[in-house]
Amino acid sequence: MARLNRRDFLKALGIAGAASAAACGWDDNWYRTPVEELLPYVVKPEQVTPGTPTFFATTVTTGPAAWPVTGRHRDGRVINVGANTQAPGFGGGVPKAALLELQRHYSPDRLRAPLAGGAESSWDAAAEKLAEAVGKARAAGKKVVWFGPHQSGALAQLLADYTQGNNLHWEPLGRSDEADAAETVFGERRLPRYELGRAHFVLSFGAPFLGSWGGLNLERGFADAKNPNKGNFIARHALIAPHVDQTGANADDWYACGVGAEASAAFAVAKLIASKKGYAGGASQILSGVDVAKAASASGVSQEQLQEVADRFAQAEAAVALPGATPDADLAIACFLINIVSGNLNRTFFADGYAGPIHGLRHVKALVEELNAGKVGVLLVGDTNPVYSLPPSLGFAEAAKKADLMACLSDQPTETTALASLILPVANTLEDWGDEDLDATTRLLRQPTMTPLWSSRSLGEVLLKTARAAGLKPLPVEQPPSLSQPEDGSSEGDSEDVDPSAPQEQQGAAPLAFEPSTWRDYLVARWQRQVYPRAQNPGSFQEFWLKSLRQGVAKVRSDATPPTVRLGAYSPPERNAASGIGLQLFAHPHRYDGRYANAAWAQEVADPMTGQVWDSWVELSPELAAELGVKDRDEVELTTAAGSFRVGVEVYPGLKGKTAAFAFGQGHRQGRYADKRGQNAFALAAAEATDSVGNPLLGGLSVQIKKTGARSDIWSTFGGDSDGGRYWGVAVNAPALAKVGDKPSDHPGELTGIHHLGRDPRLEEKSRKNFYDPPDHPTYRFAMTVDTNACDGCGVCVIACYAENNLPIVGKGLIKRGREMNWLRINRFWEENPDGSHDIRFIPVMCQHCALAPCESVCPVLATYHNLDGLNAMVYNRCVGTRYCANNCPYVVRRFNFHSYAWPDPLTLQLNPDVSVRTMGVMEKCTFCVQRTRNMKDAYRDRDVHMVPDEALRQLPACAEACPTDALTFGNLKDERSAPAQTRKSARSYIILEELNTVSAVNYLAKANFHVPEAGHHGSGHGHDDDHSTDHHDAEQH
Amino acid sequence: MEAIRPPSFPAANRDIIRVLFKPSALYLASLGLSISLVGVLGMALLIQTWWGMGMAGQNNASFWGTYIVTFVFWVGIGHAGTLISAILFLVRSKWRTGVYRASEAMTVFAVMTAGLFPVLHLGRLWQVYWFFPYPNQRYLWVNFKSPLMWDVFAISTYLTVSTVFFFIGLIPDFAIVRDHNKGLIAKIYNLAAFGWRGTNRQWHHYMAAYGFFAAFAAPLVLSVHSVVSWDFAMAVTAGWHSTIFPPYFVAGAIFSGCAMVITLLLPMSYLFGWKDYVNEWHYDALAKMCLLTSAILTYAYAMEYFIGWYSQNPHEWEIFRWRAVGEYAWAFWLMVFCNCVAPLPWYIPKLRTNPWVLWTIAGLINVGMWMERFNIVVSSTAHSFDPAMWRMYAPTLLEVCILLGSAGWFFMWFLLFAKTMPAVAITEIKEQIEPPLKGSLEAK
Repeated sequence: MARLNRRDFLKALGIAGAASAAACGWDDNWYRTPVEELLPYVVKPEQVTPGTPTFFATTVTTGPAAWPVTGRHRDGRVINVGANTQAPGFGGGVPKAALLELQRHYSPDRLRAPLAGGAESSWDAAAEKLAEAVGKARAAGKKVVWFGPHQSGALAQLLADYTQGNNLHWEPLGRSDEADAAETVFGERRLPRYELGRAHFVLSFGAPFLGSWGGLNLERGFADAKNPNKGNFIARHALIAPHVDQTGANADDWYACGVGAEASAAFAVAKLIASKKGYAGGASQILSGVDVAKAASASGVSQEQLQEVADRFAQAEAAVALPGATPDADLAIACFLINIVSGNLNRTFFADGYAGPIHGLRHVKALVEELNAGKVGVLLVGDTNPVYSLPPSLGFAEAAKKADLMACLSDQPTETTALASLILPVANTLEDWGDEDLDATTRLLRQPTMTPLWSSRSLGEVLLKTARAAGLKPLPVEQPPSLSQPEDGSSEGDSEDVDPSAPQEQQGAAPLAFEPSTWRDYLVARWQRQVYPRAQNPGSFQEFWLKSLRQGVAKVRSDATPPTVRLGAYSPPERNAASGIGLQLFAHPHRYDGRYANAAWAQEVADPMTGQVWDSWVELSPELAAELGVKDRDEVELTTAAGSFRVGVEVYPGLKGKTAAFAFGQGHRQGRYADKRGQNAFALAAAEATDSVGNPLLGGLSVQIKKTGARSDIWSTFGGDSDGGRYWGVAVNAPALAKVGDKPSDHPGELTGIHHLGRDPRLEEKSRKNFYDPPDHPTYRFAMTVDTNACDGCGVCVIACYAENNLPIVGKGLIKRGREMNWLRINRFWEENPDGSHDIRFIPVMCQHCALAPCESVCPVLATYHNLDGLNAMVYNRCVGTRYCANNCPYVVRRFNFHSYAWPDPLTLQLNPDVSVRTMGVMEKCTFCVQRTRNMKDAYRDRDVHMVPDEALRQLPACAEACPTDALTFGNLKDERSAPAQTRKSARSYIILEELNTVSAVNYLAKANFHVPEAGHHGSGHGHDDDHSTDHHDAEQH
Repeated sequence: MEAIRPPSFPAANRDIIRVLFKPSALYLASLGLSISLVGVLGMALLIQTWWGMGMAGQNNASFWGTYIVTFVFWVGIGHAGTLISAILFLVRSKWRTGVYRASEAMTVFAVMTAGLFPVLHLGRLWQVYWFFPYPNQRYLWVNFKSPLMWDVFAISTYLTVSTVFFFIGLIPDFAIVRDHNKGLIAKIYNLAAFGWRGTNRQWHHYMAAYGFFAAFAAPLVLSVHSVVSWDFAMAVTAGWHSTIFPPYFVAGAIFSGCAMVITLLLPMSYLFGWKDYVNEWHYDALAKMCLLTSAILTYAYAMEYFIGWYSQNPHEWEIFRWRAVGEYAWAFWLMVFCNCVAPLPWYIPKLRTNPWVLWTIAGLINVGMWMERFNIVVSSTAHSFDPAMWRMYAPTLLEVCILLGSAGWFFMWFLLFAKTMPAVAITEIKEQIEPPLKGSLEAK
């Protein structure tokens, strides 16, 4: 036999093997990983570098609140939404809505093609059908009605033109009450604008202003007001409301008020302030009729308490009052009056906010009447869900069928789209052009962050395409905007022939020199015509447009008229608390009014106050629960005049007496994540409501509660309610903190009153005996500062972490078994102050990246180790899954992949390509977004800078980037100027479980509290070591 | 009480060897059940490997659950054998003779059973070989700082040494079995006996080797469970991080091991009719051993509470407070009852020899010692430093299957042992019998 060398042998073996496999008739690739071919670009598109993200400034809107963000675009798709730090006057932060919109963008349930009568249709055919119906309606003299969410800017104009003014913009939790109040008080339907940053005293009647109610500017403003480093004061926040929600949890004083009686209390406060301030303006006549004693007995807030609030409000250098949890025009009027009589108009309270159309329930009722009368030919429903969110007794669903055509222009399947005979899944906010007029001086621009995922067309495009049928006269533009050549920029200052506040009035006069062919052209035309002329120092239009596009924001001269208080015949109503058990309905912090219920993150991320996931629950006051004989998770039946359902109980100390609370957002019948989860709060709403004066739709409900005896299936991820003196959350005396601020202190941590072992002189760095040498950090020691005073518990950081780090959704079943995959959680501790009031502390907890990490030393295979950047690194591939590290982590931040988790298509497209998707059996945890720090280091190293400057690190991790209040700040401890290095010297700095000598990289800043004594000792028996001879946070200097 | 009451050399041979090889229906049924349980174990393991560790009940706070509970339980069981065979041999305690072979077998099988758990509780058990520091191209190494790594060496050393010691003890007895059989069986046992002929020279070497291994194994009795206790004591977790763990664990191990010896030997000696070889004298000694270790454990439990209170450490104190009054209080009080209260009747000498009392109390101790590990492993992690992360753990059906399967695995080996190896050390028994005089009737 000829010599067979090794290679020939292997070849022969391979052929024989392949042949035998083929002969068996199997797919001969069954055992191989599928081959995916990577094709390089032949011609690289501009802006696209594989592996490098591109950022598009855009705008995300919830209700009348809009916020500039950036879409992080990678390889043809948007993978994340981040802060837009270049937007002048905004300063970062990501609204939760933006992240939830991102997930809805990739929702597996999203409608992908037009549906005509349930059958898939082409866009041309669908548009033709719409045009035909609109044409017919016009010919027959019937109305074409738009029914959608709050909308301003170019689209609102186009819709108004398209429907000849029959555009209805209503949201169940929209701010129509304030619009009504503004109409009453100022004679103009323009929302007020609040500047909380200046307020020394904030009085709220339950508005979730740190949640979904306003924009992030309120959250940022409130954080500024509470920030001892800004203005040397800490605002006091009083809450007069029946229910403590996530926003109310940040209140320093809570005055429990009867459900529905907030307006009485508010008018009483207004009167007391007016008399204290000696106010004698136009409103004094109205207030003279207010009986404080009556209001006190009606609301359950005592006269002394009302007086206390009024005194603090009146004495504050600047103060602001905010309205209620659910729309109530009278309450809004009362709040406006408080702000006016106390002299805070144009100090913290401005009458130049959002001026887009906002409609109330009475407009919706009128629409239903018109529908029933057969006056509506075409009903166009936008991205809103009236079938879900209107009381059934209103009969919207039946009425809608009486329109000749009901078309939904929405990409998410809802209870309303289920009724529509024509569905046009228009492009969503991340795919479309658009703009918003946030307030009198701010214009926000929206641009697509990727080409539409499916065959979507822009809503504006659809309207323009069917415009002729609608008899639309497009916006007049003198010449097509040409962006390819710069303009002469002569339009500096006032444009001679345009009155932007009344564009429609122009249309009859000006000839249609140009009819925009695309929605983008229409938008550009609007900006050229209306925004550009009012801009400040815009340069040429091309420059102005590109700059606005890049920043997402344009500042313009105010279009608001100076406010004049013109209260006429208004008389304050007498509101009493709901009889029997009062039911307070409130917006869910994540699911809002239910529109985000089908975004899995909104279900998976725990409710900030109760830890509830994936379900509905009713909150009962402890007294009421005792009276009913129910405890947590027992099932009860809620019955109001409008409806009834069964739901599980959460006994909730943020309610007093005979009160219950229930969140909006669940009880859907559509969407895989929302379907049949929990109960719909709108089903309990008042059947007969006018939303205007006297009878709000959602407030002041009374409810009957019956114990059913069954156990419910609700689930909370929260363990204990108090930290039991373990110093997870620490409160310090607010005035004392306001005095010293966060200036480097000789005695870091002094205000916290914690007897730090780390400060014990016996354990100083020199004599501190570590069994193993502390690790070396040559250039970086990445670290974070968590300001628990700034954290309001909103939870956007958690969702941002899910989005950035490919955290799987495990679902309710696995959360019930304790296996959620959150790398970052917010502990909510409900502590008692020495005077008996409560203090709710939100403590965001992520991996503390300890230098002497308990997890590292116990891993038998070195899968987790400390790297030179100071990160506690995790090598997924090396992990065998002993889970010892997690058992030994005192911060309990490690998460184990109990299974391999799947993302249904196309949610896979949202996965961050920079972060590996983990599989079954390995441990994972917060990495401080190592993919971002690595990229940043590389970027600077390419410029030969070997220590990334502090500014580039501060908001680098996804959580810190998303945080609207800068509660999370990232940095390098080796850089003396960095925020963590500086805040470690603060008198309110503390490190959780410092006594374990983990040498953690995360320091916390204590919360300001008006109820704890100045020394900062709060009730614990810990002694205080007076010998602060060393800086206890210097353990890091190696 | 008398020591061993074997009639004579030939009777000893006869009595011990008589029970080998001829399985009764009861035996076959027990073996069948054990093997079925091993099958259940295999299926459960397959399910867990395929669908992930999530099939068991662990969660984000308690990551170990019954797997490590049962691991420590079996390792503990595996202590009495070597204690009895090695340490009591070294101190020339005579009562070990009747019980040491079965205890040693129990040790080997218990360690084999314990060894299953660190493997089957792995998230990726197919990577189990990464625990070993073998040279590889990727320059991957293991972490010698990790107590789990120490475990790997401690357990494998213990298994090796106790197995070798076990087989060395068996050599002369295998020769006796060989001599009483013919054909293939004789050949196999000859092999197992290394051709033992019982010459003076062989005895001389044998006794030296036996003494050497006894001396070698003795410190392992203390070290292995100390190392296992370091899995907990070296961690920072409150309720684990405690310097009393090594002696406390060793005492617990001996406690549970002796109880398990009683549990196994009582029915065995009854079924095999070995009243002359294993009797009240042994049980009395074992029960006294249990009493001593029970007192040590009770002291350790009390000391944990004292230190928890004395240290004023909120984490430490809360965990001990909660164990006694929290959701797992039933487990805690069951442990206290079984380990501290249940053995007390043994202070009455008569109750140390009553088989029913013996067996009941020994059974309770087995339960109590499992509960002790449950209290340590589960409750500490379920209620650790962050109150917001307090969450309850409960085992799933799959874990119960694995638990029962592991018992099946243990009993399968023990049953096979009982029918293939002399469960009482014949040669050592003979040392305690008056040697037959030349020409006497018995010598024939």
